This record gives sequence, C-alpha cells and structure tokens, in this order.
Amino acid sequence: MSCGKQHEVACQQVLADVYIYLDAECDVEAKQRIKHHLSECGACLREYGIEQEVKALVARCCSGEGSPDGLRERLRAKLDAAVRSSQQEPSR
Amino acid sequence: MPPMTSSTPRFSGSCWGIVPWALCVSAGVTTSASRRTLDSHADGVRAVGRPYITYQRWASTGGTVAGDTVSSARLGEYRRGPDVARMAGGVVTQNSETQSSEIESTAGEGAAIGGDDISEETAQQRKVRFESDALPFLDQLYVAALRITRKPADAEDLVQEAYVKAYAAFHQFRRGTNLKAWLYRILTNTFINSYRRKQRQPQQSPTEQIEDWQLAAAESHTSTGLRSAEVEALDRLPDSDVRDALHDLAEEFRLAVYLADVEGFSYKEIAEIMDTPVGTVMSRLHRGRRSLRQALERYAIDRGVIRAGADSTTQEVGP
Repeated sequence: MSCGKQHEVACQQVLADVYIYLDAECDVEAKQRIKHHLSECGACLREYGIEQEVKALVARCCSGEGSPDGLRERLRAKLDAAVRSSQQEPSR
Repeated sequence: MPPMTSSTPRFSGSCWGIVPWALCVSAGVTTSASRRTLDSHADGVRAVGRPYITYQRWASTGGTVAGDTVSSARLGEYRRGPDVARMAGGVVTQNSETQSSEIESTAGEGAAIGGDDISEETAQQRKVRFESDALPFLDQLYVAALRITRKPADAEDLVQEAYVKAYAAFHQFRRGTNLKAWLYRILTNTFINSYRRKQRQPQQSPTEQIEDWQLAAAESHTSTGLRSAEVEALDRLPDSDVRDALHDLAEEFRLAVYLADVEGFSYKEIAEIMDTPVGTVMSRLHRGRRSLRQALERYAIDRGVIRAGADSTTQEVGP
C-alpha cells in the first residue's frame, strides 16, 4: 500500500511496524518517525485508525463478563481442601 | 504492591505512552473519522490500563525472552530500546541477577521466584495471603479462561485448576513481582499441559517465523476490505459477534490478541505467559489481528452492517 507520495519513511515500512507503534512497543525514535509519517500520510493514518479501532473494539467487547455466581465460593472450598491436604503432609 | 480492590484488580502502572501518542497523532489528522478512531481508541486503551511489569529480572539477565528475537528482525532502526524496567512504570525490585536459570528450570507451571522469607509461613497464613493477593484476579482469569476454552463450564474447570496450582506454588512466588502475569502463565500452562489433553484437541501449530509476518506485513494491511467508514459501523455489532470473531481464531492467535488487546500485557509479558520468543508473539499478534479483521468483516456483512464488496479485494464471504 502506498499513497503515491514520497515520504522520508516508506508507507510499507510504517505499515509493517504499525502494530509495534499501536502497542507502544517501539522506541522513542521509531515512535517519532512513525508519528511524523502518519501526520503527513492520510492513507497510512486511515490504516492505523482501523487497527486502533479494532483493538479498542476487542478490548471493549471481550472483557468484563465476570465470573459465574458461586465460582468464588467453590474455589475457596477447593483451596480450603488444599490447605487441609498440605497440613497433613510435611511442609515443603 | 499497589493497592487493589476486588472490583478493579488492576495494577496502577502507567499507560506509558499510548494515549499521549494517539492524541499527538490526532493533532495531524485531516479527517474527522480518523480523529474519532484515534480518540476512541485512546479511551479504549485507558479503560484497559496497563499492568506494571516486573520482569526486569528476565530482561536484565538476558533471559529467554530478551529482545534479541525482535532486534534481529527487519525492525532495524525501529528496534525498540526500552528495557523492561523502563516499561515497568517505575516498579523495580532488587536482587535482579542470576534469576533466569531459576525461572527456566521451573517454567512448567509458572516461575519460582523466591526471595522473601516466607519459609515460616503457615499453610493458613499462605492461604490468607493468597486469597487477598490472587483471588481479586478471579474475574479476569475466568474471562481469559472463557476466551481460551470458549465454553463456560470448561472455563470454570480450567480457572479452578489453575488457582489450585497457583496456590500450591504460591510459596515460590516472590512478593512484589508481577502476580497477574504469573497467574496468567499458570492458567495458560494448565490449559496446555492438562486441559487441552483432556479435550483431545490437537495443538494448532501454525508456522510462524518472524520473517513470515515481515514479508506479509505491508501486504496484510490491505488484506481486508475494511475501510475507515466501515470500521465505525463495527461499533454496531453486538458484543457477542466480536467475541465470536475472536473465538474463531486459532488458539495461539486468540490468546495473543486477548492478552495484548484486552489485558494490555506487553510483548515481553505475553512471551513469558505463552512461553515463546517475543518474535513469535509478534507473529501471532500480526496474524491474529489480520484474521480478526477478516472475521469481523464477515460478521458485519452477515448482519448487514456493512455491504459486501464495497471496496474489497479479498473478501472471502459474500452476502
């Protein structure tokens, strides 16, 4: 993909690393370089925006359902059993 | 350890940059649609938050997930420099040397990270400590288990088994290190080592070399037909469709995307949790997100939220 314009950093190079930028996993220099490119290249910025949106969509929709009723109590009972079991054995 | 509550069991680590970057970028935005996506993502990221990272031990000792895999890649000038301590949001622990071999030797069910003198702790005291420190993550771990197993009953079994294992190994856990990631690793290992075997499901092993995603990287960004305007329409999809789209992904991809996008783990943390090199994490994220975009597009077309073939070159499913 390319917007057809000449950039200091090629569109393909930026798009190849867009996830690293999106995930805040690149260093300051790379961040500046990508940011600069995105500020002057609408095509790449749109692609970046799509990736951002999808990431946010997943974050919003795939979290927060909570655990079923009673799970915490059932788990505590299991842990109690584990404590009893460990008390019957020599300590590690 | 930062304060936690049962309702919001998040560490108070910094967001280290995503939001400021997004806002910086938005200053140069030329379209309102792009600005909207940037801003809305900033909100999404803020909502997710970032756990603090205390894996500096692993990084500083050149552990198995040091950045070598990444730096050998074409990233080259984009090589990321921050060490884990810098990403850790300021949380630094002592005695950071000579830990990698210890961690590797106990990697099966979560790293043994000794240090505090808890040898005198009774079983009851340990249980109290475990309940106060680890149980607040139950809801999060259950959701992760649900994403892994895709079935509520299986998710409950998995998360319970993982917690029992975590409790059994809790005397090895070093206070002040990343409990959340430790628990996720145990959850993942429990699934891989025992639960999946019970399910009799073969491990999906996509070939994933770092060169793979590099070669495919630029291409992949045009590999779905989604356009900016259509991405906005994805907001109208029911949450269950987005979850189903994530569930459609192969296991490794699904977990990597979940850990990165929902839980906000760093690449290094995901690498530790999944016991893979950082490069593999990047590859899984790349492929997973690419597949996810395609899946979301299909769901959106099925729902009539976007039109099939609007501007797509690679749509796999028609109306």
